[in-house]
Amino acid sequence: MSDFKMKDIEWAKINEDVLASLESPRKAFWIVLAVCFALVLCGVAAEIYQYNMGLGVALMNNPHYWQTYISNFVFWIGMSHSGTLLSAILLLTHADWRKPIYRFAEAMTFFSIATAAIFPVIHIGRVWDMYWVLPYPNQHAIWPNFRSPLLWDAFAITTYATSSALFLYIGMIPDLAICRDKAKGWRKKLYTAMSLGWMGRATEWIAFQKTYVLMACFLVPLAVSVHSIVASDFAMSMMPGWHVTSFPPYFVAGALYSGCAAIITLFVLLRYLFKFEAYMTPEIMDKTARLTFAIAMAWNFLNLSEYASIWYSNDMFEHEMLIDKFTGPYAGIVWTMLFCATVVPFAMAWKKVRVNMWAMFVISLLIQLGMWLERFQIVSPPLASNHEPWTQVAVWPGLVQMTITAASFGWFTMLFLIFCKVFPSVSMYEVKEMVYHRNKHGKKKLQDLDKIKDDMIKTEEGLS
Amino acid sequence: MSLSRMLENWSRLNQKDYYKDEPIMWGMSIDLNKCTGCASCVTACNAENNIPAVGKEKCGSGHTMSWMRIERYWDSPEGEPDLAVEESEYPERGAHFAPMMCQQCNHAPCEPVCPVAATYHNPDGLNAQVYNRCIGSRYCGTNCPFKVRYFNFFDYQEDIPHPMEMLLNPDLTVRSKGVMEKCTFCVQRLRNAKGDQADKGIRGHVEDGAVQTACQQSCPTDAIVFGNLKDGESKVSHAWESHGVELNRHEQFNAEGERGYRVFEELNVEPSVMYLDRVRDTNA
Amino acid sequence: MRRIRKKHFLFATYDDFEKAKEVVGELNALDDKEDIIENIELYSPIEHPEVNDMLGEFHQPIQRFSFFGGITGTVLGFIFAAGVGQSMFTVQPQGGKSVITFPPDIVIAYEMTILLGVLSTIAGFLIYAGLPRRVKSYYDHTVGVDQIGIEVETDPKNNEKIRATLESCGAIEVRELTS
Repeated sequence: MSDFKMKDIEWAKINEDVLASLESPRKAFWIVLAVCFALVLCGVAAEIYQYNMGLGVALMNNPHYWQTYISNFVFWIGMSHSGTLLSAILLLTHADWRKPIYRFAEAMTFFSIATAAIFPVIHIGRVWDMYWVLPYPNQHAIWPNFRSPLLWDAFAITTYATSSALFLYIGMIPDLAICRDKAKGWRKKLYTAMSLGWMGRATEWIAFQKTYVLMACFLVPLAVSVHSIVASDFAMSMMPGWHVTSFPPYFVAGALYSGCAAIITLFVLLRYLFKFEAYMTPEIMDKTARLTFAIAMAWNFLNLSEYASIWYSNDMFEHEMLIDKFTGPYAGIVWTMLFCATVVPFAMAWKKVRVNMWAMFVISLLIQLGMWLERFQIVSPPLASNHEPWTQVAVWPGLVQMTITAASFGWFTMLFLIFCKVFPSVSMYEVKEMVYHRNKHGKKKLQDLDKIKDDMIKTEEGLS
Repeated sequence: MSLSRMLENWSRLNQKDYYKDEPIMWGMSIDLNKCTGCASCVTACNAENNIPAVGKEKCGSGHTMSWMRIERYWDSPEGEPDLAVEESEYPERGAHFAPMMCQQCNHAPCEPVCPVAATYHNPDGLNAQVYNRCIGSRYCGTNCPFKVRYFNFFDYQEDIPHPMEMLLNPDLTVRSKGVMEKCTFCVQRLRNAKGDQADKGIRGHVEDGAVQTACQQSCPTDAIVFGNLKDGESKVSHAWESHGVELNRHEQFNAEGERGYRVFEELNVEPSVMYLDRVRDTNA
Repeated sequence: MRRIRKKHFLFATYDDFEKAKEVVGELNALDDKEDIIENIELYSPIEHPEVNDMLGEFHQPIQRFSFFGGITGTVLGFIFAAGVGQSMFTVQPQGGKSVITFPPDIVIAYEMTILLGVLSTIAGFLIYAGLPRRVKSYYDHTVGVDQIGIEVETDPKNNEKIRATLESCGAIEVRELTS
């Protein structure tokens, strides 16, 4: 296997390369950062306008109460799931190719939650009373409504943000210690404080490894529950098109799918911006693409089974809604979504495509477009085709909504790039471990084979 | 305080009809045969409940506020209501009006989904909306099958020109932006009526006809009947009885001559509003 | 805090884990014979599960922290939602539904299980890894890069013996330290 080349990297070189990424990225880095910052400013301006005028400026109306703010919320929460998948599930299944790329995937998890958590705030009518959804003792002697899936969201997001931030941080401690040893100035202070005095003692390592696996065991069921809860925002309601039993697994699959696409996008981006060519190899991209393809098929299956269960059901309203999705005012969205998320992933069937960075970049962007539209077509069309025929009007998101949507992408990328500039985005110690074990076990396996052969020859001789 | 409340809650934990012992449950009956679609109920509702007139532009973008609306459907020649068919021979005869407002569901889908419990069921059988508590997540609106909840997308009262704010009804609030609102069965009138009774020393009973909702008051054909469903003598319970509509059923069994139904009964939301089906002479 | 006596260390670095493993073996053998070593500490840039055998089993029951943290989370989450939130302070039961509703309480208990489980796992980690702490003044940066460090705590009079053992396995550098 060609990716075993990686065992040739010297350990000292790993440190140098990764630490260099904190110092001298390509010029494009600053350009991307500036663009993202400008987007964020536009979004802030749009939000201030909306705050002062009321939500009507976002062109939502009665009864089209929910729109892109909710679909963005679902999109960003979904995106965070692949970080957990890559770091936790692949850790538990001992897939060691995850090691060079899991750090940024975890960072992606955290920052996409940070982005998602903003959307409920933008979405609700009275932002200044947002804290009422938190269960805190108060003099009104009233608690939030524990029956509401939105409240479960509040719990799930709090838990997920806390746990994924801690998972990212704990996994980074040994690397922060390395940074601390090399850094100067404010960075030295930051890394010294954050590395907690890690020295690589055996006690620390044993405790560390145990903790890491235990946390992964918590994070996997957590990730599944978080998106199931987000799905129950829809599935618990009575709206035709939302009231679908298969939504929780469908949402989880969709989350992993769009998250994997996001990982590919950022993979290519980081590889270029921070010159990580030696670590983020085409072989790893190949494996990530295979994983994405598998998840794409799972998502497609669940998508089709959702259509089928509606089609063969006897619910008139659901039926109408489904037909309206494919032929009504939002038909363009639905068909584009199906093209991007169902047809495009088949390009990954060819190895040539899988190892080509820029081809994968384009494919991953298309998939993400498809998945964003998927969230939009979950939220919007049912509101334009529900029980009450009087209110069936299609409504399109206005300039304010689209600006804030674009700003959320800018916000996420900005936070992510700043993270990569300040913290090592490739896990140094895990790459070393990978190199070490591949060297060691590569030899060991061969020896074992020889031994087994010898034993077989001996027994054969004994028999004859 | 909390312990006694817990014990009280516990004793009613599995009680099927929570407000069974309450003396009042407000209900309504609307006779579609009598409805002419004149929309005076809508106007009266707007005047009574401080509902803003949003203007042409905002009306166009769908930001209309009208707790009550007259839905107009057209009968196709076969007798099936259909929005699209407007070209029958006598189109004016095919019009079918349905005044639609909050149905005050007993199993209201809007209630369990509100994250801050701003909408709840009060002991009088009303689906109450607490404006002060509302944070505007709009989940209630999306989950309402009748789509009768209206969200304040703008600060409409700021557009009221100066002396006109004197026209506002002082009995209830003016809602600010970011708050959900809906028909309350004119709860301010109901409270006044109950208060008047309490002044006379009578609790838990409001004489039938002592209180009218704004829409009922202004209806020229008396299509709307409003009253206490638990009072066996009231007009509204007579109407429910005589047209074979019962609570706790998701399909009514109408005998000959009975034409009562509730909208979207199959969703099992238990509306408190009964409609009487329109009768047409199809052979004329 | 005043120290009763100063600790004395020998610190050796190796470029290969196998060498370090060998030297720890020899030191253990020496200690069995003469009982002169107080403590051996191993510093490494990556995790080596073999140190469990070399330095004696580490007793770090972090999984108990996870378990009891999780259980506490479940119980507290349920009591919080069902007891405190729903049955004691509920002003108005909604739509005539029961006061304690299991589906939401299970969801909340589940999330709280994970939250408290994660937090107490990390508490366990900090306790058993002995973090946070100050970095020792003689901490060698190379053990963060690619070298294995062996730190032997011993009495100064045994210096020579131990130094010889450390060097016999190909130490790059051996330093004497006191703290």
